[in-house]
Amino acid sequence: MGKIKRKGIFFTFISIIIMATFILIFTPQADISLQKDTHAVSARIGSIDSFVSDLESSYFDAVLRATTYKTILSLILYMNSTGSYVPNFDSAFYEVMLTGKINGVPIDSVTGRQIMANSTITDWNDRIVNTAKDTLNVNTTIIVTNISVSQAKAWSIEPRLDVNYTIKSNVAEWSRKSTITSQISIEGLNDPYYLVNTNRAYTNQIKKSSVEVNQWNIAKVREHVRNGTYIHFEDSKASSFLMRFTNTIEPSPCCGIESLANPNRLNPSDQIESYPDYLLWSHKFANNCTQLYNITGLWDEFRYFKLDFYHVALFNITSQDAVRTC
Amino acid sequence: MHKKRGYFFILDAMLALLVLVIGVFLITSSYINVPQPAQVGLLSDNLLDFLSNSKIKDINNPYAGIGGELWNKGSITDADNSLLQQIGIFYATNDKGTAAKFIQNVSEGIVPGQFKYEVWIDGSMLYPAEITAEHAQSRNSTKLLLTSKKITFGILNSTTGDIFGPYKAEVFLWER
Repeated sequence: MGKIKRKGIFFTFISIIIMATFILIFTPQADISLQKDTHAVSARIGSIDSFVSDLESSYFDAVLRATTYKTILSLILYMNSTGSYVPNFDSAFYEVMLTGKINGVPIDSVTGRQIMANSTITDWNDRIVNTAKDTLNVNTTIIVTNISVSQAKAWSIEPRLDVNYTIKSNVAEWSRKSTITSQISIEGLNDPYYLVNTNRAYTNQIKKSSVEVNQWNIAKVREHVRNGTYIHFEDSKASSFLMRFTNTIEPSPCCGIESLANPNRLNPSDQIESYPDYLLWSHKFANNCTQLYNITGLWDEFRYFKLDFYHVALFNITSQDAVRTC
Repeated sequence: MHKKRGYFFILDAMLALLVLVIGVFLITSSYINVPQPAQVGLLSDNLLDFLSNSKIKDINNPYAGIGGELWNKGSITDADNSLLQQIGIFYATNDKGTAAKFIQNVSEGIVPGQFKYEVWIDGSMLYPAEITAEHAQSRNSTKLLLTSKKITFGILNSTTGDIFGPYKAEVFLWER
């Protein structure tokens, strides 16, 4: 009997050990809560990381494009309202982009158009900060360190935005420095050079001519004057679009664009000048009639239209249609 | 005596087996019940990911895809926009009716029939367009309703570069 009792205790111990092992192995709580926590943290980091990528790759680019377009439009309207050039284009561009003001005055109040209201870089940054807080419960800080614009191509401008931004959440923190650049077409915008020089009497929109460099003739020049289109010649002697804001009439080989002023829209129509815009208002050939040609081939429609020898050759105008002015 | 002991051990073994089977059954059934919230959460995440990662040009849909009804009408102009961005454009241009129909068309088959969902943009419910009594009752009585959120924004006018958003986009999903 004594032997049998000892065996019973032995089996009871074995069964307790087996049950304990089963309980330890199959206890679901610990495993699942750990998995759940890991999944929650990784999902949260994933969604904030996707927001950070979107911010850098899409949001800043969209904001830069929209704000640059509105800033340029506002500056053109500002010149139209004041009738004067912008003395320091870079600082004016920076101030309008960031604050919607020029020399401390809201530019919309000068132009009479609601363009920059709620549309500055600061407004868009505030909007994304609030939406990110509301949607992802993250604290976003965006610091604009620089804004500039330049031109490397004739038909577009390149704005550049330098920002430092930080996104803080309860699980992680992202800190980045970023430079965003974009390209914005200038076609469709008014040429500020025309506005200021004619005291707003003559507006001309930037529109690229479709004529190739070696295909010019008198008929195509007629269309060119009629439509007020622009052309970029290689190694251009004309000024670029941005240079026209500050009356910087110097050659811009990469980006110079020029149009031919329509004498019917000038006062007086008959001027002893060459009529490409940048030569006309910089008075390059003022009263120097010996270097000018009357383009008589166009005088039926554009009376008094004149060009200098360089442009007569560029536009491939023959002696049949060009007569020395004096 | 020997015969009685044999029956005793067989009965003991059968009882032990029964206990083990019941134990394993209970443990496995508890495993089946636990993932339900994760499943609903995954579905709401998946729906929002689908809307934000799929572009108009990626879907073959006679209403919302390229060459579809909205494309031919000119309501959709940029095939590179994501479905969520397109919903944002409809919201920004105050075309909520089209937004609701658009969501219904593109999400068809994405969410299994036993689940119901709502799509909200900027605090406004766009889908479903109208709340039926059955929908409201189902939402109020569900034990588990999960939400997924994302931010959406994009270009409204490519010439002027006008932007829409940034909007909070939310998907609420629950089991009927």
